[in-house]
Formats: sequence, structure tokens, C-alpha cells
Amino acid sequence: MFRKFLSLSFTLAKAELKLRNEGSYLGIFWYLLNPILTFFILLAIFSSRFSQGISNYPLYLLIGIIIFNLFRQATAESTRIISDNKKLIKSINFPRQTLIGSIILKILFSHIFEIILFIILLFIFKVPLYGIIFYPLILFLFCFFIYGVSLILASLTVYFIDLCNVWSFISFLIWFGTPIFYTVETQGKLFKINLLNPMYYFITIARDLIIYARVPEAWMILGALFYSLLFLAVGLYIFNKLKHKFAELI
Amino acid sequence: MQRIIVKNVSKKFKIGFEKNQGILAKFISFLSGKTPQRILQVIDNISFNVETGKIVGIIGKNGSGKSTLLRIIAGIYNKETGQINTHGKIVPLINLYSGLNERLTLKDNIYLYSSLFKLSLKEIKEKFNSMVGFSELKDFVNTKVYQFSGGMKQRLAFSIAVHCNPDILLLDEVFEIGDEIFKHKSANKIKELTKNGVSVLLASHELWIIEKYCDRVIWIDKGKIVKQGDPKNIIEEYKRAK
Repeated sequence: MFRKFLSLSFTLAKAELKLRNEGSYLGIFWYLLNPILTFFILLAIFSSRFSQGISNYPLYLLIGIIIFNLFRQATAESTRIISDNKKLIKSINFPRQTLIGSIILKILFSHIFEIILFIILLFIFKVPLYGIIFYPLILFLFCFFIYGVSLILASLTVYFIDLCNVWSFISFLIWFGTPIFYTVETQGKLFKINLLNPMYYFITIARDLIIYARVPEAWMILGALFYSLLFLAVGLYIFNKLKHKFAELI
Repeated sequence: MQRIIVKNVSKKFKIGFEKNQGILAKFISFLSGKTPQRILQVIDNISFNVETGKIVGIIGKNGSGKSTLLRIIAGIYNKETGQINTHGKIVPLINLYSGLNERLTLKDNIYLYSSLFKLSLKEIKEKFNSMVGFSELKDFVNTKVYQFSGGMKQRLAFSIAVHCNPDILLLDEVFEIGDEIFKHKSANKIKELTKNGVSVLLASHELWIIEKYCDRVIWIDKGKIVKQGDPKNIIEEYKRAK
């Protein structure tokens, strides 16, 4: 059943990628434009203020940007996925979850180019590359988390259309609250707040393993596992409860 | 064997309507974006069966509930009450020609929709030429569907649906668009499928096709079955009632 889910999600993702690249001359370049621009702007503005005490700050910054980008893109698309596919949903009875699965696969494809960019930067900063071997594991767990959040957003947006606009604001707030261009180690209040922020766990684990070649603390790994499974379970529950009305409401 | 068993199925929708409202109520509706709604009984206690290898026609005015009934059987809409039992793979062709992805090519649409109809990649590759051949759109394989006419889209959609190994085919007004030759070709294809045990539910306004090809006809009006039985008799009564 999982194979069929993956196969159909892949087919939908392939179709979406064809549509996205339709008529584009620069194609692949556009996937990198957003993280590159964000990286250089944040580096220029914040490196002097926030980079003290953070070794390899450009790498620290970039990994935070690209991991958060993955989350932001997937969840933003999930708020539109059901309404964007209303003709399909009203014509054929197929597993609706595969639409969300296709978003994850599509975003992962563009994420590959961001990772290549990151590996180039690792090479430039002479950081050992062996830490990147662990990234697929982190990504695997992270995808469960994103999938769960996307299921929740996709199903609730059918009932509350305003959620599409509200979510862009909420994800902006989460972006600021997550230590992407700063650190929270020395700041007690922000640190405690980030214990409730799943993004903090994934980004910190990635930084520890890949940039600083150290094993993340056990509570970090457990936290990441907890949030992944929690949001996956809640997402599946809410989506399965609400999906039966999609065709009638869109 | 009964391929489709529909028992006491009902369905309601909430629909917007024009209501005499005061100025304050109208202002609140305008700000909130919510309009007054009422309940419409779209399907009202419908029961019927479809046997293996039979074609059952569904006739009725626009808005009588034909498409809604097919969508409920296909599992696209949920029923409020009643039971539906189906045996085998359901392939619905309900507005599919308008559901095709217009920015994708014919080839991409075949791969996409065949996957949605549960064909494996291997099966799609094996049947690809047959699907293109049946639709008579061989010269347009790499053409984007937005450049197709309505008739061409309908051909493509129909061809995909009949090649996806259906056990139950739900067809909603598929003969309303397209030339006479393709209508006959499609109807003959449906007849051929029924010889292999496929059951067909065909909703259409093309009464001559219903009379010629259907084994039985169900006449629906305002969500209820008015009559069901021999196509010739039911269609005659339907025409008189119109």
C-alpha cells in the first residue's frame, strides 16, 4: 500500500514539476535563487551582529535557511493543493493524501540543489564532508513532520479558506523565532520557547552532525522523533476525518 | 452477480439561495462572505442493482441528480444514508474531459490519469499505443491539451477510461460531445467491454444511444426514481412527460 502511495505521489509530483518548469529557460536556477538571495542578505545584515561565538557562521546560516525553506515551501503549497486540484478531486476517487505526498517529493527534488550548494560551501570552508552522510536520516524524519503539518493545513484550508493567508504570517513568525541567523544557547527565554518549536530540533541536529561533527544530545534526537511522530499521527487523523467532504466543498 | 447494489441511498447538499434580508443582514453577509443557505435533497431514497455485463442507462432532466448519484457510487461524494456495495474496480468518467490537465501533453495526461485509475507503469506503457489509437489522436501525442477541442478532450478521456481495466464503468454525459462516428465507436467499445463482464452505468441525454445500447433504464427526477425498466417504454414515457 505504501508502494502504491509512493508511486502515485511520484506521478503527481512529476506532472507538477513539468508544469512548474514549463516555458522556463532557467529552470533549475530558480530553485536556488531564493536560498542564495536569502543567504547573502542575511549574511550581509546579521553576520557582524550575530556571528560572534558561532564558528562557520555562513554554514550555520545556510543550513538553517535551506531546512526552513523546505518546511515553508511544503506547508505553503499544502494550503492550496486541494483547491488547485478541484477538477481532479471531483472526477476521480483516488487517495487524496497522495497530493500532499507529491508536494513533499517535488520540494525534495528542488532541495537536492540546495544541498549541493551547501556541500560546495562545506568544501570552501574546509569542513569535513563525512557529516553530510547523516543528512538523509535527518531528512527522513523531517519529512514525516512536514507531511503531518501539510496534511493538517491541506484539510483545514478546505473548511477555513483564510488559513491560507494566516499560515503565511504564522510561518513568517516561526521563521523569526527559529534560530536561523542567531543562536539561542545563551538566551534563556528564547531557548525555552524553542523547546516547543520542532524546527529548532531538526536544524540543531543537522548543524551538530554536519558542521560541528558532534553527536547531538539524546533529548534533541528524542524531541525530533517525538514531534515527527506526533504531527504525522495528528495529521493523518485530521485529514482522514475531513477528506470525505473535499469534493463537495471545493 | 450484482456488480452494483444501491439501497435506500440519500444525499443532501447545502446550497446558497436568494433570501429577502434586511440591510444589516445583507451587510453582515457581505463582510463575512457567507450567504444564506438551505438544504437541498439531491438524492432521495434511491435503490437499484446492476448485474455483471449489463449496461444500465440513467435519464433525467438537468439537475435531477444523475451526476451526483454517479459520484456517490464512485466514492467521490459521501452518501448521507443507505448502502452501496460494488464488486470490482470502478472507473468513473464524470467530467473527466474538463478534468484533464490542460498544460500537460496528451502523453503526460495518459500517464497521469492511468496512474490515478490504478494502472501500473508497465501496464500504461503496454496500453499507451492502444489508448492513442482508439482516441484517433496519434498526431497530437506531444501537444498540450489546452490546444484540443472539446471533442478531442472527450475522446482522450474516454479512451483512457475504457483502457484502464474497469469492472464498473460510470459514464456521465460522455456522448454529448463528439462526432457521430466516434459516438458509435465508443458505444460499440462499451458493448465489447460488457461481453467481458464489465458493468456500465450510463447517464446521458442522448436517448437514441440509451435506447439502442442499454439493457435497462432508470428515470430520475428531483433525486427520486420515477421508473425503471425496458429502455423503449421508459424513454417513451419520459418524452411524453417532457
